[in-house]
Amino acid sequence: MKRRVFLGTAAGLASCVQDRRPRLNVFNWSAYIDPQTVPNFEHEFGCRVRYGIYESNEEMLARVMSGNSGWDIVFPTDYLVKPMLANALLAEIQHAELANLGNLEPAFQKPAWDSQLQWSIPYMVTAAGIAYNRKLVPPPAAWSDLWSARLSNRITMLDDPFDVMGACLKKLGLSVNSTNPAQLRAAQHEAVMQKPLLRAYLNAEVRDQLVSGDVLAAQMWNTTAQQAMDASPEISFVFPREGYAVYPDCMVILRESRHQELAHRFLDFMLRPQVAAANALAARTTSTNAAARMLLPEGFRNNPTLYPPPEVFVRGEWADTLSPAAQRLRDRIWTEIKSA
Amino acid sequence: MKSLSLYAVFAYMFLHVPLLILAAFSFNSSRFTVWEGFSLRWYRAAFADAQLGEAAWNSLVIAVAATVVSTVIGTFCAYGLWKRSAPVLAGSLYLSLVTPEIVTGVSLLAFYQAIFRFLHLQLGMHTVILAHVAFCIAYVVIVVMARLRTVDAQLEEAALDLGANEWQAFRYVTLPAILPGVVSAALLAFTVSFDDYVITSLVAGVDSETLPMVIYAVARRGVNPMLNAISALIVFGLGALILISERLQARPAA
Amino acid sequence: MSRLRKIFLAPSWAIMIALFLTPLGIIVVYSALTRGAYGGFAFPFTLESYARLIDPLYLTILVRSFWIAAASTAGCLLLGFPLALFISRSGSRKNLYLSLVILPFWTSFLIRTYAWMFLLRDTGLINSTLAKLGLIREPLPLLYNDGAVILGLVYSYLPFMVLPLYATLERLDKNLLEAAADLGARPWQTLVRIVIPLCAPGIRAGSILVFIPCLGAYLTPDLLGGGKSVMIGNLIQNQFTTARDWPFGSAISLALMAIVMVLMYVFVRRDKESLL
Repeated sequence: MKRRVFLGTAAGLASCVQDRRPRLNVFNWSAYIDPQTVPNFEHEFGCRVRYGIYESNEEMLARVMSGNSGWDIVFPTDYLVKPMLANALLAEIQHAELANLGNLEPAFQKPAWDSQLQWSIPYMVTAAGIAYNRKLVPPPAAWSDLWSARLSNRITMLDDPFDVMGACLKKLGLSVNSTNPAQLRAAQHEAVMQKPLLRAYLNAEVRDQLVSGDVLAAQMWNTTAQQAMDASPEISFVFPREGYAVYPDCMVILRESRHQELAHRFLDFMLRPQVAAANALAARTTSTNAAARMLLPEGFRNNPTLYPPPEVFVRGEWADTLSPAAQRLRDRIWTEIKSA
Repeated sequence: MKSLSLYAVFAYMFLHVPLLILAAFSFNSSRFTVWEGFSLRWYRAAFADAQLGEAAWNSLVIAVAATVVSTVIGTFCAYGLWKRSAPVLAGSLYLSLVTPEIVTGVSLLAFYQAIFRFLHLQLGMHTVILAHVAFCIAYVVIVVMARLRTVDAQLEEAALDLGANEWQAFRYVTLPAILPGVVSAALLAFTVSFDDYVITSLVAGVDSETLPMVIYAVARRGVNPMLNAISALIVFGLGALILISERLQARPAA
Repeated sequence: MSRLRKIFLAPSWAIMIALFLTPLGIIVVYSALTRGAYGGFAFPFTLESYARLIDPLYLTILVRSFWIAAASTAGCLLLGFPLALFISRSGSRKNLYLSLVILPFWTSFLIRTYAWMFLLRDTGLINSTLAKLGLIREPLPLLYNDGAVILGLVYSYLPFMVLPLYATLERLDKNLLEAAADLGARPWQTLVRIVIPLCAPGIRAGSILVFIPCLGAYLTPDLLGGGKSVMIGNLIQNQFTTARDWPFGSAISLALMAIVMVLMYVFVRRDKESLL
């Protein structure tokens, strides 16, 4: 009996080893790609791709921090690029290998967090806003509407310090990237005031509760909100009046990668207009690829949740890497909010 | 006694009803908590999910490997401690048992990260298996030790007097007597390993995603009837395993 | 003899040193470093992380964690003691009843927690049944509070309480009980004056086996508590992930270890022999 189990295991392992094609390990957010993209890439380049998914930056970072995780490509949010670079996790991107780099929107060609795109290539953009049930009349239009007693126990905020602080700072008319202790303390006060109204701090799992009507309003990323809206006509989404945080997610190649060349091929493949368009369309997300946007169907390209019109877009503020001192203060404030 | 029985019934309901409901709703055709009709769609969905299948396979390989290694090492260790105590080793085993999982996990992660600076290795099945062996040993030692306490030490002495060497005395006298304890220990090690999320999630690499990791990821995205199906499969699968082992152990001990 | 014993002990020594004591040692070293500019750690050595621990904020979290763990332990004891008593008195069916306690424990911890998410949420079975019966109009807020966390912990760790209790009740001298009855003690008097005092080692062992994992829990507060409150486990996890402050996370881990060791020393010192 034991021997048979052992042989079975050995056979299983052997069959894994048999495939001699090079293998690329890609670790991306859940629901962030067209299911056909990976098979197409494998077919065209004669390789295998191990595609894993994660739900939060922290989860991804905890895995790749060791510098020996085995992953080749990951998709951190912009503000993580500098810390990852400081921890020697990133490989330099060779622009000569990326023929399709020019397809990016001009705004993403020279982003603040990596002006030469030396370490990261923008992929998709998300933004935090308010998803709500249409039963709510009048509908929420601003962050300050989330401090209303009518939402008591029917509202959630994201379980993410940057998002919660961002909403509070915006409510006060301040920058989401504020490092000013007085401003941060004021934002903390707002968060603590709001906490008794909250059902919970939830990320993706609030989607189902919103669809089922348990939750009436939730701070939510627009891509998640889009999924909720696709599931139920009752759900709507708004970019709050005071402004909101925008999170570009980037493709990076890890320094530990043993397939640097293939990794560049993958990045370039993802930058192709057709591929980028298919990804955005299938995952229902916001592409940073200008050429891809041109290929998107009219109705999708004008979807106000994913592709807000210019007057809404200007209210968005890009999330920045925080200084160590500010990060530490924010960590402490977050702990204080949570234990309030 | 009557009120005690009533209380016991209540306690058993508390223990079993939630899982039974979970299992029952795995056969519901609706994705909501409203009974619509019998369906196997969630089982089909679970079996069709390639990621889930691979994770289940990984979990099985890791649990079997960790169980075999930790049971052998742990049984030897319990035997050695039974012969003569070794306070430092016993103390560290004890400490490993009461260390909060999160602390074990982060310390192993820090350890792997530190040694990988010098060795060109990657996180993977081997790092997970090693971590599991490390936390399973203490469980094995405790269970086997409990059994060893019931063994008469003079039997081995008699064997030695009759010309057996130390190994033979262990192999032919003590080991058969403690075998049921060893089986229980292996079973415990298997479930502890199969169930672990906290430590595994910190030391897993690309190819070592386990079932609990997938379950956690799915649960974080909300209630999903596919999870009910997986739960039912695990409950009944492990339940069958327990029953078989109880049968095996029901044989009288030497 | 000693040769074979040495050979037998060697592998466990090796594993414990390489995969338990050394990692703990590394945590000790990390706890005395400073956080790097963007996470990780940096030199020089300092005790700053420990100084930061002495802070009313972390004390509150510690007190909270103690409270949740104590409530869960009490819950397990209240539910587990009568159950263990029942099993110890059920004659030939003992093994069956005992297996029935352990059976849920063999299923995944996450699944046991998930089962309660499934039952407690607004559109979950409890609320929808109550609504259908016309007992409630608005769903009761059952999920995402301390009560749900404690419930989840009691559910998860009940077997840890029942097993040691059963072990001591099983060894209880039946003659003592009969003697008490003969001398005119009522059943509850026997229980309070004789059974419970004699079970003290089992109660201590069970309580410590439940209390310690509850104190370090972080998945249950996360899933059933809705992230509205932090326990020490969440604080540690947060330092290693979101805050990327490994030295501080290490210091909290060691503080937690120290608490656990003190608890062990105080409560089970005398009973240590019964386990190892």
